[in-house]
Amino acid sequence: MAALESALTYLAANADRFWKALGIHLELAAASLAVAAAVCIPLGIWAARSPAAGNWAMNVIEALRVVPSLAVLILVFPYLGFGARTAMVALSILASPPILVNTYVAYRNIDPAVLEAAVGMGMTPGQILRWIETPLAAPVVMAGIRTAASEVVASATLAAFIGGGGLGEFIVNGLAMNNVGLLLVGGIPVALLALLAEGLLSIPEYVVRRRIR
Amino acid sequence: MHSMVRRVWVVAVLALLAAGVAVAGACAQPADKPIIRIGSKNFTEQLLLGEMYALILEEHGYRVERKLNLAGTLVAHQALVHGEIDLYPEYTGTGLINMLHMEPMSDAGQVYEAVRDGYLREWNLVWLDPAPMNNTQAIAVTREVAERYDMYTLSRMAEVAPELVLAAVPEFTERPDGLKGLQEVYGGFQFREVRMVDYGLKYRALLAGQADVTVAFGTDGEIIGYGFVVMEDDKGLWPPYQVAPVVRKELLDQAPEVADILNRLQPHLTGATMQQLNWEVDGNKREYTRVAREFLREIGMIH
Repeated sequence: MAALESALTYLAANADRFWKALGIHLELAAASLAVAAAVCIPLGIWAARSPAAGNWAMNVIEALRVVPSLAVLILVFPYLGFGARTAMVALSILASPPILVNTYVAYRNIDPAVLEAAVGMGMTPGQILRWIETPLAAPVVMAGIRTAASEVVASATLAAFIGGGGLGEFIVNGLAMNNVGLLLVGGIPVALLALLAEGLLSIPEYVVRRRIR
Repeated sequence: MHSMVRRVWVVAVLALLAAGVAVAGACAQPADKPIIRIGSKNFTEQLLLGEMYALILEEHGYRVERKLNLAGTLVAHQALVHGEIDLYPEYTGTGLINMLHMEPMSDAGQVYEAVRDGYLREWNLVWLDPAPMNNTQAIAVTREVAERYDMYTLSRMAEVAPELVLAAVPEFTERPDGLKGLQEVYGGFQFREVRMVDYGLKYRALLAGQADVTVAFGTDGEIIGYGFVVMEDDKGLWPPYQVAPVVRKELLDQAPEVADILNRLQPHLTGATMQQLNWEVDGNKREYTRVAREFLREIGMIH
């Protein structure tokens, strides 16, 4: 309770820094998620169409999954230096596996009979992708993005290690100096953001699911 | 008569067996020494010190569990207070300011006495003897930056700060003897930009030209290794940061000789020695376990 009080006192005294950190945190998470989605959704669709490519892409992704984000930060730091760019690389890599795997599985598991019917109706491959496959796959792809989002929001704290700022600064500082209140200034918003990301992104998922039925 | 003899035999055999079990039991636990769990924080010097304590105690026949690399002062201290570890290396200045929340003092002896008394009273923890080294906070720049601004003292840096980028380590922007302390004691110190980086990256930030100024510690190996220039603390902002093992009193009650054994190491840990040992690990990329072992052999504390 005392810790929570000191967290609020700190927050009141450093409101400008908090809002700035929150802004950086969200920006970083959103940008990383966008990059991961932009790369992994097309890659997943492509992988679903060719078994050889699919195998290859899945192996690469599984390998990436093993590398800790902190290690990526330290490896990329000498090339990209301080701050947001370096953090974005690590976070985009972190966000990739759930998006890619879900996209791959979603497009892969579409009933062949449906696709055959579409071809039979004279639809072009582009039309099939746009009107048949994507709506059917969308809920699973969205679920992947949702998983990635909560992971990225939580892990964006790592940016604090490389001059990237964000809510992680409060956590790292609090942990380093035995100040639980300071730790909570970063920790509680990060936890709430992760839950919020999970919750907000389940709305579009719910909508697409309903539209299919 | 016959059964009487048999009964005596049975009793004799049972007695022998019992004695044998007792002897075997005694052999399995020689001298009844406690297992000692050693912690450390998560940077090179702490790992080196933790490993040294472990090796020395092993040399004296203790079984040791290494719980090194704990994430910072908070975690190490909590682990110690809750009896998850038995000892870890701590700095007098950190104990004074971060743990006991006392006012900074600059006299090394006074600071040591304050933390020794405070820790015993608050947490029943014992500070062993302090080492001569002083891992105080400091501010370092590359030689090039020092020359460009003709800057060798913190007073001078206070004026030049608006042109400089500071690579701060965790804690530095928050603790009273960090950036706030500089601003209070010296005035100025409004850096153009302050960016936080992890301890391991601060010098790389300077070498890569990503920042001009960073937070150093008195025993950092890189100071010798890369020839950084440490600003003189000409107004005496920082208290001394001497290192000593902090030990649970329960352990010392059980095995008082642990204090004497570890105290014998302390006088060997001078500032120059510690810089060199840190540089062996951070600069020459050698295993801290090996560096610790070699050093202890050199000073004759292990074989």
